[in-house]
Amino acid sequence: MSKVKLTIKATIAVWMTAVVLGAFLLAIPKMPILEHTARNLYFHVPMWFTLMAALLVSAYQSGKYLRTGNIVHDIRAEQAAWVGVAFGVLGLVTGMLWARFTWYTGTGKWWNNDPKQLMAAVQLLIYGAYFVLRSGFDDERRRARLSGVYNLFAAATVPFLLYILPRQFTSLHPGADGNPAFDEITDPVMRLVLYPAFIGFIALFWWIYDQRVRLALVERALDEQADYAQPTA
Amino acid sequence: MRPYTPQDSVSVTAYDSVWATETRPAETQDAFERTMLSEDKLYVVLGVVLLIWFGILVMLFRNERKIAQLEKDVEGLGG
Repeated sequence: MSKVKLTIKATIAVWMTAVVLGAFLLAIPKMPILEHTARNLYFHVPMWFTLMAALLVSAYQSGKYLRTGNIVHDIRAEQAAWVGVAFGVLGLVTGMLWARFTWYTGTGKWWNNDPKQLMAAVQLLIYGAYFVLRSGFDDERRRARLSGVYNLFAAATVPFLLYILPRQFTSLHPGADGNPAFDEITDPVMRLVLYPAFIGFIALFWWIYDQRVRLALVERALDEQADYAQPTA
Repeated sequence: MRPYTPQDSVSVTAYDSVWATETRPAETQDAFERTMLSEDKLYVVLGVVLLIWFGILVMLFRNERKIAQLEKDVEGLGG
């Protein structure tokens, strides 16, 4: 591992520790209903920003593969989407827990069909289909080309499913129909933790993504070596 | 079940679980819910942080499995 990467990863570790400490230790204005769960802002929202950053990286790598034909970009696109979706799942489950014990206390409702929740689930399914599509090909080049094109279409749905559509309906989320926007309801002190949390979680994504890409590249190199060692055809 | 109080009369409680002059707990809460809502709902934040931590652990273990598989492949090559 390069020394630069190692330094960056050590920085991420310290950075995220500071984010978690700030998230719990910094005093925030007390709001009815929300109470301490307002602190979930620091964790739940960055999950989605990380998903979007990851999907952007994935689409960029797919585009690069389609232009250059270099399979490394296809591997990067797949791994970015995989880690991104993992963060999306975390965004979904953290949102479920938050809503269940904040706005749906006493009802036992874990899934409330909030428009943003529904659209986010649809978004994850669209990327689930990306992995299913990939598994359908044996030929590396065909898989890379077709899933690369699908990935670009999938990325084009992100702004609609995560921003435009959910804002047309009433929702628990800020900025939705009739709700005040994030800017109007979020105290400045919370931004001290929230913005570093965005950076920290996206950096954490990069860390895991970097590991998975390197593992996939080693796996591919070994496969090729094995093919040379034991010619089957 | 709410506890028996002197105002209770059999004829009323048989039809209606709420006695009009009596305060009733607003919601039924199980132990899990009571815990989550205590300390101004701080444990909800703990739950969210734990979920993310578990998610990171799952990713770590998947990398672990991949490394083990690659190690086996290297051995298979006689490397």
